[in-house]
Amino acid sequence: MSSFHLMLPEYLVVGFVLLALLGNMLVGNRFRLASWLGLIGLLSSFVASASIWSKSLEPHVMVSGGIVVDNYSLLVNLFVLLAGIGAILLGWGERRWGQEFPVLVMISVLGMMILGLAGNTIVLFLGIEVLSLPLYILAASEHTAAGGEAGLKYLLLGAFSSGILLFGLALLYGALGSLSFIHFASLANTTSPLLWAGLALTLSGIFFKLGIVPFHMWVPDVYEGSPSAVTQLMAFGTKVGAAAILLRFLDFGFYLSPQWWGPALGYLAVLTMIVGNLLALPQTDLKTVTGILRLGHAGFLLVGVATHNLDGARAMLFYLLPYGFAVLGAFAVLILVAGNQDTVTISDLKGLAARRPLMAAFFIIVMLSFAGIPLTGGFVGKFYLLQAALFANQPGLAIGLVVGTLLGLGAYLRPVQALFSAGDESRAVPSWTLSGAVVLVVAVIGTIGLGVYPTPVVHLVNQSANFFWLH
Amino acid sequence: MLVVWLLAVALAGSLITLFMPRQSAKVAAGIIGAILIGIYVALLMHPGQGVNVRWIPAWGIRFHLGSDGLSLFLLGLTVVMTEVAILASKAEWGRMYYFWILFLEFGSLGLFSALDLFLFYIFWEVVLIPIFFLLTSWSGAKGRRAAMKWLIMNLFGSLFMLIGIVAVAVIHTQPAGPLTFEISQLVNIHMDARVTPWIFAAFFLAFAIKAPLWPFHGWMPDAYGEAPAPVTGLLAGVMSKAGIYGFLRIMLPLFFPEFVQYQTGLLILAVIGLIYGAFMALRQTDMKMVTAYASLSHLGMIALGIFSLTRVGILGATFQMVAHGLMVGGLFIILGLLEQRTGSRDIAAMHGLNASAPRMAAYFLFFALATLGLPGLPGFVGEYLIIQGLVAHEVVFAVIAVIVLVMAAWYMLRVFQGIMQGPDKGQKILDLKAGQVWWIVPLAGLVLLLGVWPNGITAHAVPSLYHAVHLLAAKGGGV
Repeated sequence: MSSFHLMLPEYLVVGFVLLALLGNMLVGNRFRLASWLGLIGLLSSFVASASIWSKSLEPHVMVSGGIVVDNYSLLVNLFVLLAGIGAILLGWGERRWGQEFPVLVMISVLGMMILGLAGNTIVLFLGIEVLSLPLYILAASEHTAAGGEAGLKYLLLGAFSSGILLFGLALLYGALGSLSFIHFASLANTTSPLLWAGLALTLSGIFFKLGIVPFHMWVPDVYEGSPSAVTQLMAFGTKVGAAAILLRFLDFGFYLSPQWWGPALGYLAVLTMIVGNLLALPQTDLKTVTGILRLGHAGFLLVGVATHNLDGARAMLFYLLPYGFAVLGAFAVLILVAGNQDTVTISDLKGLAARRPLMAAFFIIVMLSFAGIPLTGGFVGKFYLLQAALFANQPGLAIGLVVGTLLGLGAYLRPVQALFSAGDESRAVPSWTLSGAVVLVVAVIGTIGLGVYPTPVVHLVNQSANFFWLH
Repeated sequence: MLVVWLLAVALAGSLITLFMPRQSAKVAAGIIGAILIGIYVALLMHPGQGVNVRWIPAWGIRFHLGSDGLSLFLLGLTVVMTEVAILASKAEWGRMYYFWILFLEFGSLGLFSALDLFLFYIFWEVVLIPIFFLLTSWSGAKGRRAAMKWLIMNLFGSLFMLIGIVAVAVIHTQPAGPLTFEISQLVNIHMDARVTPWIFAAFFLAFAIKAPLWPFHGWMPDAYGEAPAPVTGLLAGVMSKAGIYGFLRIMLPLFFPEFVQYQTGLLILAVIGLIYGAFMALRQTDMKMVTAYASLSHLGMIALGIFSLTRVGILGATFQMVAHGLMVGGLFIILGLLEQRTGSRDIAAMHGLNASAPRMAAYFLFFALATLGLPGLPGFVGEYLIIQGLVAHEVVFAVIAVIVLVMAAWYMLRVFQGIMQGPDKGQKILDLKAGQVWWIVPLAGLVLLLGVWPNGITAHAVPSLYHAVHLLAAKGGGV
């Protein structure tokens, strides 16, 4: 297969970005047109990724090790495209964000796709920046004070973390004399302080994007101020991208020396799971709650990396999907309930069970998946992570995971109980929109499907993360 | 295959009630419950092989359901008690209520027939959800707190058990063995002596919280007190057996040497629960709470039977599980009817009701006598077997158990006397209606049948327990 074919998903997104820009320029302010182009572009890229995946090819290394197209990168494509499609659908009717909204979403998704196939530090940095820049703008697309605050905060802290990341990458190059992850492994047998510092700074930069404690301070404010559709993209897409590059970076570049980063990652994972879930308990703004709980889930993902075995890598990849479905579903409900409001608090959910029983039922399913209750995908994901932790003989991670889950329960169950309270009759009954309904139904079917019959997806991730050198 | 039908009909039925008109949801649920009883009777006649198919092959997980002497009668308890609970509920509680009740039945049936640990765990947590929502929406003022407490306490135990389950499966693969969650294969594992206590504790905690056994009963007073009477009946009648069943189905085969090692401690734990429950039951002024603590005490008794680690004691516990479920479930539902009619649960507020409601008094007395272990009724049979099992090696505990039995008579009859007898102060209530007789008579009949013909259960249960207990002998247990 030619390199053009292999990169077709990325080319498609780029092509549709250009088309949408051109369309915006020629036809004038056409939000609908741009949205359709964005949707078609991401969908076609999704189909292309899936069809290349199904040909089960050998890994292809291009651009002197800078780009690696394999099943792993294609699976990452599928996940981030799902997030992107979700973002465009959730922002479908929001004309006030302007016609640049779908274009920026597409560019950001492109950045996430690049992170999936990065094979050296330059492409890594490129991916992070392509991902982040549109998000800085998107975070501020609500033209309010909170929106501006969110955008500015995200920009400043994001730029700061990019600087740290870049410095770390430079130190790594200085220590090892190579840019390519695969070469790191054989070179990184010295314990020079340069290498240590480089590794630490690089990981810090990635942790910032992933929202790992203690690099999580930006999360609540940015999430609260950003529009829900964008928050969804940050919560699902960015996390997939950052987790994908973290796994690739460590498991390709430093698999011979897990003793350097494994324990640190393990402690951070436990810390994140516990702090993230604890912080969510007193919150009432639902977007913030979901944002902070995202921290807890970032900790769960980190468990998969910290175990440093094949099961861990696969479990992490698997966990991204039920998590993503739950994020999509939760934000779809938030957007439907919010209507024209800026924020949704827990008390806005009151009475939903009586007025919109189906919406409430979907919300319950999504929340139970977050909480990891069986028959939802969230449970199977946690089960896989537990397997990985115990196969790696790290019961501490397993216990941290369980404790984190328990702490998060309260935060998930309070909104669920609020659904059944007597509602404020003066509030308008939330109305269904087609795009919101599509996202919600897909999310719920995915959640239940993964919980009841995860076998195909287990096969999918097992085929995608064939890092045979791990064990 | 009939087991699968049982589950499938329960699940499909729960979904069907969701689409019923509001007022006819109860009728629909009642019909589905009756169909399930029919399927169960067929299962009783042809207890077949169940089903065993691959589910998640990559992790060696199989969809393995079956029914043997240990679970067969618990399945029966589930279908009977659910039908009774449906018939005792109010039609105006709406379709969601009946959906959750039938969903609970689906979960319980799955729980009692799962033979794969992963599948068992799925159902183990699935049953938590219906109760959570039933407590949230159809309960008293403090129902939400009770619901939260129920779910969080139970998940606290279960999640650690999940670690235990995965750990057992992982240990089974080392040094060479397939990854499997099949209970019958996992019993052959050799665990490191350093990890075994932890895994034992993880399983024990989950089962003890669900049952509940003292001192893990923190959720019980709230949940039993707040839930509507039919749900309390299901909680005490069916759900509490899930924990005990876990001891028998999973822990005994897997951890027999540890049971022998910790036997004294476990017996002390059970006996404290037995005494504590009895004393608390004596002190309560709320008739529902008396029964709740009585139930805690009885569960301590059942646990004593299991921890006696003798064949007779375990057999007694198996029998008592079913008998206790029917008796205490019936008792809670009668108390619920009483509460509906008088609007109070305070024993002191009621006097001499048997004058106006003789039939209700009679059934109340019947179930109360059954729970306190009157000979001729099943409570006696179960307790007799348990004490016989204790006498062999643990005489002290047998003596304590007998003393508590006397107390059981005291606290149960105190409630009956307080409410039904005594001076007639002109309080009048409605007696049982014809519609209620339809389910209360068969339930009482079933209790009576078990009392005079316990062999119906024990004859079936013995072969299944042989499996567990023989294994024990092979592992060096003195049976």
